[in-house]
Amino acid sequence: MPTDVETWIDRARIAFDGYSETLRRAVASPLLKPRNPIPIDELTERMLGALGNPPVVDRRIADQTPMARAALAIFGQSRRPTWKVGHLLTILAALGSTEGFAPIQALLDAGLIFPVRESTEPLNGFQPWFGTEGLPNAEVFALPSVAVRAKDEPLGLPNVATADGPPNSETPRLADGLEWPLRLAAVGQLVAEGGMRTTQARALFKRDLQRLQTHELLAAAPADHLVNLPDIGGLTLFWALGAEKIAIVDAEWKLPEVDKNAAPKLLSEEIVALLAGLGAIEAWDPLLGYRLVEGQLSAVPSAAMLLLLMLAAAKPGEWCESEPLAAWLWEHHPGWQSGLTFEVQQVRGTPWVESFLLGVFYPLGLVEVAGGRFVRLSALGRSLLANGAKVPEAPAFLQTLMVQPNAEIIAYRQGLTPTLIGKLSRFARWKSLGPACTLELTAEQTYRGLESGLTLGGVVQTLNQHGVRPVPAPVIDLLQRWANKRERIAVYTSATLVEFLSPADLDIAISRGMIAQRITDRIGLCADGADPDYKNLRLIGNRDYEAKPTKCIAVDEDGVTLNLDAGQTDLLLEAEIGRLAEAVPADGTSARRFRLTPESLRRAVQGGMKLDDLDTWFLARTGEPVPGAGRMFILGPSVPPSLASKRLILQVPSVEIADGLIQWPTTKACIEDRLGPTALAVDDAKQEALRELLETLGIKVEFA
Amino acid sequence: MSEAAPARMAVKLHRRVCLVLTEDAVLAEELLARKKLAGEVLGRLSERALLIRPGRIDAVLDELIKMGHTPQVVGK
Repeated sequence: MPTDVETWIDRARIAFDGYSETLRRAVASPLLKPRNPIPIDELTERMLGALGNPPVVDRRIADQTPMARAALAIFGQSRRPTWKVGHLLTILAALGSTEGFAPIQALLDAGLIFPVRESTEPLNGFQPWFGTEGLPNAEVFALPSVAVRAKDEPLGLPNVATADGPPNSETPRLADGLEWPLRLAAVGQLVAEGGMRTTQARALFKRDLQRLQTHELLAAAPADHLVNLPDIGGLTLFWALGAEKIAIVDAEWKLPEVDKNAAPKLLSEEIVALLAGLGAIEAWDPLLGYRLVEGQLSAVPSAAMLLLLMLAAAKPGEWCESEPLAAWLWEHHPGWQSGLTFEVQQVRGTPWVESFLLGVFYPLGLVEVAGGRFVRLSALGRSLLANGAKVPEAPAFLQTLMVQPNAEIIAYRQGLTPTLIGKLSRFARWKSLGPACTLELTAEQTYRGLESGLTLGGVVQTLNQHGVRPVPAPVIDLLQRWANKRERIAVYTSATLVEFLSPADLDIAISRGMIAQRITDRIGLCADGADPDYKNLRLIGNRDYEAKPTKCIAVDEDGVTLNLDAGQTDLLLEAEIGRLAEAVPADGTSARRFRLTPESLRRAVQGGMKLDDLDTWFLARTGEPVPGAGRMFILGPSVPPSLASKRLILQVPSVEIADGLIQWPTTKACIEDRLGPTALAVDDAKQEALRELLETLGIKVEFA
Repeated sequence: MSEAAPARMAVKLHRRVCLVLTEDAVLAEELLARKKLAGEVLGRLSERALLIRPGRIDAVLDELIKMGHTPQVVGK
């Protein structure tokens, strides 16, 4: 599995390869400063090499203007490799930039950031790309290894720390940082339960919003909360979707596959991932809750980032208050004020700032609070944002779970880690979050866990490893029963079936272990539906299940015997032909044969097939409609009764004579019916009259 | 005397097959009795094996889960 660094280098490689040759040379020139021309096919790797070289990166960053360096610092401080250009420009404007788009253009031109593009058309310049994407919503990314070099660039933010602070005797209040990881786990379960989606604009459907608003766990306030946030479930969902390193669901919104090689995740790493996710929270506001600002950029990502940077600008130990922080934002942020309600505008946005600090950053463990209003970065916050000393991880208590006989799990919070939260979330449903969280083992959640790659043994092992006492026997039985139930139906999404020429061949293949499971008397399945080992097999045909049915049957002259072309037959034929024909016992030849019988076709009709359906099937499989004999078998029961009678037949020597006799009214009166081109049925009572008429015409009649 | 190497058996492969295998025939009947599921079944290869329309496996899975089954998905 690629590491994070490799992933971003690959993205940079794809982005750079997407430039036209002229643009590539133009971008590489300031970065590489080559003395001799570089062959075009070497340019990408040389450029990536330079971006991986810290001294070179430092020199190129130093070449940039202060605002371009500040833009790069935003990538570094936020730990978010991808930013919308609009948000970056907003932050730069708040920092005093009057250069407009120039800092971003300079970074793109210098190869220090790249455009996020879907198109594979060669990019000739950055201006046309902005024209296509729309400047505010266009996204750019920086390599984390580059962004981190610019992290400490001065941003020119004022220190708005308050002169006074809480009494020294008061111990600052600091959250454990687990609230959001726990909520992310719960929202992941809700999403994996199915039915929840966001629109292309990352908006919620009304029904899903209501589910989040009424969810007993997600709608509840955190156990350790200082303010109440509206639509906290929606915030959790958007946050999870925006944090690239937190995969609560996979691309199909299902529980992601278990990564057996994943290293245990530290709480600080989870908090960093959430910090990076802040930049993507667009449709939520700390005072208004879920709020979709269609066609406009939300002020939340830029304002939240600026708040953190301002807290980082305070010296260690200094306290800040919401009011001066809000006042600074009020004065400097170009668009935040207009999104506030009238009442909040009257106090220059202070409640907004307070809600964000106490409602979002405090449970995250990034800030500590004292006196109910004084806020400063926690030790972890300072280590992430203000070059503070690295904070050691709190010691983990291994035994922190208690599995009860009623299949409920009590999880004592102090022993929880992101890794354990992730493991538990796969097979147990979060029921309540508090100092002691509760989960319940359910059939559905256990099933999802097993589907995501867990094993029953692994589930029990996790519970025993972290349990204060062994898992009760009834709970193990319950898990075993749920796991067994899963074995009752297997759905193969894309299996390879192996068809043998005879049942005996399949028997041999099974006995040799080449085939894991028998499907029919001649068709078998390898383990996991995979391709067989070809060592002992000779391939005579290869059919794609999704391909159109092909002609693979030849009908004998008798109209009822169907000869199958073994190389062309497909599985559908195997399933279909038995419905309308009887298998003919093998006669030693390799061709398999079936026979239409009145009973087999009657069975097909009783099974819902009409003559039209059968015609369609025969046309697809033989190239001809149902043979005459078959039609007779089908239509026979529905036609009127046939008439059997003795008749006098006049066989004339030519068609012309027959035509004349039928046409001339005098002779026509003696003829009952024309039976064929030269055969006429004569009215028995008029045979003598007809003979005389014919003789007058010179036509002799001989009676047999 | 050494035993002759077994001849290679002639086989035909059917690839990318969407298939539901049940534990027993009764369960397959139960699935076929469900109208929505029956509409997605192209044919029945054997008492326990149902062929599913290409591209409809997700609909089948959803329906199975709605029925209260917990199908094991192989080859995702």
